Amino acid sequence: MSYLDLSIREIHEALVNGETTPLELTKEAVARAKANKENAFETICEKEALEFASSLTEVEKDNVFYGIPYIAKDNFSTKDIETTASSNILKGYVPLFDATVITKLKAAKAVMIGKSTLDELAMGGTGTTGHLGTTYNPYDPEHKRMVGGSSCGSAASTAASIVPFALGSDTGDSVRKPASLAGLVGLKPTWGRISRFGLFPFAPSLDHVGYFTRNVEDSALLLGLLSGRDDKDSTSSFKPVEKYEEKIGESIEGVRIACIKEIDESITDPALLKKYKVSIDALRKQGAIVESVEFGKDLLDSIYATYIVISCAEATSNNANLDGIKFGPNYGGKTYQDVMMTARTKGFSELIKRRFVIGSFALMRENQDVLFLRAQKNRAKIVEKTNEILSKYDFVLTPAAPGVAPLFGAKSDKLSDEYLIADNHLAIGNFSGLPSITLPLGLEDGLPLGINIMGRAFEEKELFKVASAFENITGLKGLSVINKKEGNL
Amino acid sequence: MKEITLDVLRDAANRLMFDMSEEEYQTLLQEFDVLKKQMEMIGKIEGLENYAPMTFPFPCEVSYLREDVAEEPLKKEDALRNAGSKQDGQIKLPKVVG
Repeated sequence: MSYLDLSIREIHEALVNGETTPLELTKEAVARAKANKENAFETICEKEALEFASSLTEVEKDNVFYGIPYIAKDNFSTKDIETTASSNILKGYVPLFDATVITKLKAAKAVMIGKSTLDELAMGGTGTTGHLGTTYNPYDPEHKRMVGGSSCGSAASTAASIVPFALGSDTGDSVRKPASLAGLVGLKPTWGRISRFGLFPFAPSLDHVGYFTRNVEDSALLLGLLSGRDDKDSTSSFKPVEKYEEKIGESIEGVRIACIKEIDESITDPALLKKYKVSIDALRKQGAIVESVEFGKDLLDSIYATYIVISCAEATSNNANLDGIKFGPNYGGKTYQDVMMTARTKGFSELIKRRFVIGSFALMRENQDVLFLRAQKNRAKIVEKTNEILSKYDFVLTPAAPGVAPLFGAKSDKLSDEYLIADNHLAIGNFSGLPSITLPLGLEDGLPLGINIMGRAFEEKELFKVASAFENITGLKGLSVINKKEGNL
Repeated sequence: MKEITLDVLRDAANRLMFDMSEEEYQTLLQEFDVLKKQMEMIGKIEGLENYAPMTFPFPCEVSYLREDVAEEPLKKEDALRNAGSKQDGQIKLPKVVG
């Protein structure tokens, strides 16, 4: 057991008691990162991290992030550290400024030890499309199973106990799905709660900063640090930052939880269904009122298409600056159009190009009404239905993924309920901007299963309360590949 | 919806200033078989004419003027640091006019 396997608060206590130092923690985290076999890293910032950790000699007792090592997904701008978003078109790009979340972590004296891999430009959910190749699930040493994406490296490195937390981004489910496949706590807070300044935009109406931890309290503490209005992000909220950990441990008696009937019916994995049912019984024993409600199957079936149309359309314009002139390699050409065509043709992978073409197609004049605007209207309808449920219930509880981490190359029917609903419903949280947290539910054949809880806008404090109660039910607080547990369910 | 053909897809790609190989266009054309069926699922939803297109999860109106504080501008060498082609302190491009 290493201090890195503990929670942020436990590591902090060890620092305050003089049992370890930021430098020792950083050295060990770097050593673990270097030994990592899951292809989780774009860059290991050994020199910068050791230099910074060496300067941390006076422990700040009231700052739990002091000297804590962490990892950032490589789509957050980091001053003087190459930031590629796992795309060849950004190879060699060195930002001139830090993203706001990086600035906040630096000010809290947390130590960034590396930048993690992602699906190229955060557009993907498999962890297979980054320019460094596939990132693997640390729960499968044979490397046959995916960890999911797009925040694949951040999920793999938190699950492998390299760091106690890692930053990610979530446009469709890019934190919360990999959290499920890697047995982690993955939070996407309310849209606007955390500044996105310095996060490479994919689809700004859906993009959120999110992150992975190994327990609920760490997630709450981190939200307190990262939240708040930022004039550099006009969409960031003016709502005051709260003590998000304040209600952890409080009773959930009388809390009203809705399960979505059609989502539950789209799950076919018997182990997941069994553990999910047992967890609901346990919530009821604690006094929660858990009821099944209907959402409308047609509406749920339409989530994936709505997501793909809106996100791809937004992505086409947000990535227009990757042109081989301002960003990316300039291969030359007789006209500036030649320069752009060559840089973008060579710089983007096939998957990204396909997604861009889908976006371009949706935005064609003949298609705008039937595709893009219709998807935006359908988004409004999905959000209206979600808010209607949350006017009667405090939370929505769902399985976070159809089952354990899928095998690479496994075929799925893209028109089945399992794909359209079970595998894609987490995008509701992005459409609505509501806070949404994934938690480990249990393990099946040594592989994690996860659930998701979504709450009302800016009510993260309540969300952490019920998440913590759920964490006690499963007994999986602190789960990692090193700290393996069977759980209670 | 516009009919999906190889030419339409090529046009969509070229509008975004990139090209793909013939094989990649074929893969995309096949992908559109399923995608079209998925997109039709939005078509099945009734009453959407009563909804306004949703562009952001919440209204985010910002109506204030920031303080007029002088800031250090980006240095020229920093501004040029990530440009692939530069000359005489400027980003170099092929001739655009004339």
